[in-house]
Amino acid sequence: MTSRDEQPGNGNRRNFLKSAAYGTVAIGAGLTGPEVLSSSIGQARAATDKNLKMSFIQFLPHTVPAAWSKGIEDVLLKQGNIEYQLLDGQAKIEVQISLMDTQINDGVNVIFLQPVDSVAIGPSIAKARRAGIPVITLNIDAVEDHAAHVEMSHYAGAMDIAKAMGAALGGKGKVAIINAPPGIVIRDQRTNGFVDGLKKYHPNIQIVADQPADWDRKKAQEVFTTILAAHPDVAGAFGVNDSMALGVVDVARDKGLLGKLVVFGDDGEKDALESIEKGELTGTQYTDVYQQGRFAAAAATVIASGGVDASSFHSKGHLLIPYIIATKETVGQIQPNQRW
Amino acid sequence: MFKRHQNFALLILFLALFAFFSFFTRRFFSAPNIEDILSGYSFMAILAVGQAFPIMTRGLDLSIGSNVGLGAMILFDLDKVFHLPGWASIPISVTACALAGCVNGLLVTQLKLQPFVATLATLAAFRGTVYAVSGRQLYPELATQSVKDPWIRSLEGFLDIGHLTGLSRFVRLPSLPFSFLALLVVAVLAHVVLNRTRLGLNLKTVGGNPEAAHLAGVSVRRTQIVAYLACGLCAGIVAVLLVARFTTATEATGTGMELTTIAAAVIGGVTLRGGSGTVAGPILGAFLLGIILIGLTLMGISQFTQQILTGAILLGAVYYDRLTSDRQKSASGGVA
Amino acid sequence: MTAVNAPTLLRATGVSKSYGSLEVLHPIEFSIKAGEVRGLVGSNGAGKSTLIKILTGAHRPSAGDVWLNGRRLQLGNPHLMMDQGIACIYQHSSLVPSLSVLDNIFLGRQPTTRFGFLDRRTQLQAAQKLVAEYRIELDLLEKVESLSTVKQKEVEILKALALRSCLILMDEPTAWLSHSEVRKLHATIDTLRSRNIAVVYVSHVLDEVFDICDSISIMRDGAIVWEGPTTSIDRPRLINIMVGEKLGKASLESLEQKRKPRGTGDIRLSCHALARRNIFSDVSFDLYSGEILCFAGLVGAGRSDVVHAIFGAAQLDDGALQLNGEAHRFRSPKEAILAGIGLVPEDRRRDGLLLAHSVADNLVLAALKKVSRSGFLSQKRRRGLALRQIRNLNILPSNPDRVVSVLSGGNQQKVLIGRWLETAPTVLILDEPTVGIDVGAKAEIYGQLRALRDEGRAVLVISSDLEEVLTIADRIAVMAEGKLVSIHDAGAVSREELIAKIGGD
Repeated sequence: MTSRDEQPGNGNRRNFLKSAAYGTVAIGAGLTGPEVLSSSIGQARAATDKNLKMSFIQFLPHTVPAAWSKGIEDVLLKQGNIEYQLLDGQAKIEVQISLMDTQINDGVNVIFLQPVDSVAIGPSIAKARRAGIPVITLNIDAVEDHAAHVEMSHYAGAMDIAKAMGAALGGKGKVAIINAPPGIVIRDQRTNGFVDGLKKYHPNIQIVADQPADWDRKKAQEVFTTILAAHPDVAGAFGVNDSMALGVVDVARDKGLLGKLVVFGDDGEKDALESIEKGELTGTQYTDVYQQGRFAAAAATVIASGGVDASSFHSKGHLLIPYIIATKETVGQIQPNQRW
Repeated sequence: MFKRHQNFALLILFLALFAFFSFFTRRFFSAPNIEDILSGYSFMAILAVGQAFPIMTRGLDLSIGSNVGLGAMILFDLDKVFHLPGWASIPISVTACALAGCVNGLLVTQLKLQPFVATLATLAAFRGTVYAVSGRQLYPELATQSVKDPWIRSLEGFLDIGHLTGLSRFVRLPSLPFSFLALLVVAVLAHVVLNRTRLGLNLKTVGGNPEAAHLAGVSVRRTQIVAYLACGLCAGIVAVLLVARFTTATEATGTGMELTTIAAAVIGGVTLRGGSGTVAGPILGAFLLGIILIGLTLMGISQFTQQILTGAILLGAVYYDRLTSDRQKSASGGVA
Repeated sequence: MTAVNAPTLLRATGVSKSYGSLEVLHPIEFSIKAGEVRGLVGSNGAGKSTLIKILTGAHRPSAGDVWLNGRRLQLGNPHLMMDQGIACIYQHSSLVPSLSVLDNIFLGRQPTTRFGFLDRRTQLQAAQKLVAEYRIELDLLEKVESLSTVKQKEVEILKALALRSCLILMDEPTAWLSHSEVRKLHATIDTLRSRNIAVVYVSHVLDEVFDICDSISIMRDGAIVWEGPTTSIDRPRLINIMVGEKLGKASLESLEQKRKPRGTGDIRLSCHALARRNIFSDVSFDLYSGEILCFAGLVGAGRSDVVHAIFGAAQLDDGALQLNGEAHRFRSPKEAILAGIGLVPEDRRRDGLLLAHSVADNLVLAALKKVSRSGFLSQKRRRGLALRQIRNLNILPSNPDRVVSVLSGGNQQKVLIGRWLETAPTVLILDEPTVGIDVGAKAEIYGQLRALRDEGRAVLVISSDLEEVLTIADRIAVMAEGKLVSIHDAGAVSREELIAKIGGD
């Protein structure tokens, strides 16, 4: 599937697909199918006869964690000896902490975690470490040290977005950031990447607004409407996730600005990709989130089956996954089963 | 004293559920899990006690969660932005929450707003203030730093009673989290105020029959203000405990807690008709909700089911309250 | 009875009250001696409440002075009046149901120890002393909400006594009490009198006034029009003075109306062996068109439960019910209404009226079908219906858009009755239709009930007021302890016989 319609001049895409292929080989969790996958980890299963328990504590129900969970299930549930559970943090840190407590007490082997707050979850992660339970964070990092963090490079991706947006704007104009609430590392990574990217590639572009819209499409509509009122000449917007970018697109549609406004999102969810195909959203940073879940699950099985204790991690490991900047030109290359 | 087992049914339900979960889940009846329950729900119990005060005067405080968020953010700012030591920043934050409670009381008594409306307004206003004063928004680099003040951090400690009593040689006893000790202090104080002082009696009088209270020379307004102030005070105490637990304050701290606290208070027998209530009831109510959530999570039952069950228990509590009050009414021959 | 030469306790001179240019209380002279029980009577709006409110401090008079024991009082402050020894027992309870009797007695002034904690022991001792002194039997630690109504009144009296009150005002204290309870209350008042405490007794129930009061003040149009010892006036004269010649005559005439037992002779509603477990059993009676059947009995005898069960508003466990010869068993009030039964409930403020809504809204409630076309309300018909009933029943003020809660009790009751007249029920049931209503309005309501009877409707009235039963009933059914004891033709039974049957000992 990596060989179809490769066109010269599309290095970005080729790199991405190539690295996806490497990932497939590396952990045996290919896009081609679970058969390969189960046979290759079969040995690990034979080596560890005991039953394992793993839980994923998500931020709140959303397409991204749902896709991760599906990817994680792809790997774990095939093994037969791994019990896996998805738990909802209800976007409340105290709920996540309580769930962490119960999971630690329940003696799970690995906790996957998408923290509501990168700092506030710290004491819980420390508690898990004391109990010897490795914690793997997904996309949203935690300040406290833990086993591993699985992400695409948000900083580099946001720089690429800045570059692409600047190009679409012709190197000048005013742009706005529709941001996440503070207290989450990913927000800083994406914001800094975008700001630094503009500075580096398009120093003449001015950021006139940076306001939080709580990851939410509706909230983003309100926020961008206010920004538009204050700066009618704003020409571009960066939504720190796709939901918020799509909120901007909604406003653009209402005000007849579609096609004039350059809007970038981040994450690459299905709705965003469709919007790009329709020519509404300009682009997004895309990664295969199913794949990201499989990466995380694979790492977890290595840790759990290898009998690695959380305390043996001296600092957090990073597991970086490939991404592309999806725009109208590249979006067609993302296969249906890679869309989430 | 002469309350004739007001919380008897609740206590039975609590014990029954506790026994049920101990029997059906592997790790429920274990020292670490009881620690989890204590540290995870003591703050909710403190809030439920606070919430009981306005409810007793026929009011309620929807802003209690936002008030917690406000107190937490003020404490965060005082620590990270102004670098005040904990012995100064903690009392300032608690006082701020008490004053915020006082604002609720003034809105209800001076502007004669319905408690529901007044505190719904402050629910939004306090939360807005949290965002406005958030050090994490004003100085983004602070957002990913934790609070390190020793005064605040020491509040997330544990008291190892097993070790203290020497019983640890025989059995593993749960360590008592500091927040639970704080709850005990709050509970004793609230109980004394409610049952041993004129103020406590005035709270019930104002809630039971405001007209009679007025005629008896009880200052209805002042009593109501004190009720909201006490509620704010509890919110302040919880704000400090949560900052110690989170090592930071998020803009969303306390969101949605108002409903849980009201549910805990009502389950604990503090009727929304006002005039009656105990301190033990709301505490038991809060922990009842806690063991249900934790027990069902340990059983692997989905959280949506848990929420449905919480709702069902709330309905059951209100219905039970209704049933007993009807029985009392017919016993007094009030209906022909 | 009072010693004639007892010292004057309270004297009000030239006390008046105006709102703007409207003087609702003309300058009056009012005095009462220690140990005197004074009846204060008058129609609604005669100025009784204004006078009472001035004495409790709720209102400040526009002019005049009040002297207590020769000392001039500072007026317009309820707490001060209470401290000076004037207490009031209101028609609606001023107790806190969730607190104990003890806490209620000392409401707002509980003794405390040096450290600011409640001093339960002192409180209990003081209360026990009071209970012993005034021979009132009460469990001091019981919660007020579990006490009977008359016990609650006694708690209120104790509360007044704990304040060392020398004058107790009682505003309609017997509105919700049964005969035996009234007697109990009067016994307590006797004790108060013997302890030299003065009582002002406001009531619409003239029997009670004649029964307990040493002297009577009659108010009319904001003035005291007659004052004197009870022995120097009789009932007809009192009514004449109170409501004026014309209404007084109507009221007296209603006593001498012709009785029509079994009306036209057609049975409308026939009940056989109705029963509800633990509440009532073996209730059998026939209700004829063109008669008023009164259910007499004590509060709690099960009368309301019976009519609620007939009406489908409460469960009926056993028995047969026939309406116009057809067997029925109503499972909801809706079915009963469709079949032609109307019910005016007992507590009009709680069960009957939409207090915050207009007179018109309340009037059309039971007849929505009549004023709506394919589901939509016709404003024109609604208004027409409302105006018709307002005229018909003489509802005052006659504005259909007026909110019901501001109407007097009598007019509220008329609105409730008017509501049912539009649906033209063949059987109309009224539960305690005149509680708390003044003599004039009572006479009007009695007139309406007779008019309904004469139209050929079957009317069933529950009343705990024997005076009322003897005034309007064509036949009287007596219930006691959940059983229908006997049914009498109204002319053929004496008051004493009835009391014996009712079981009010």
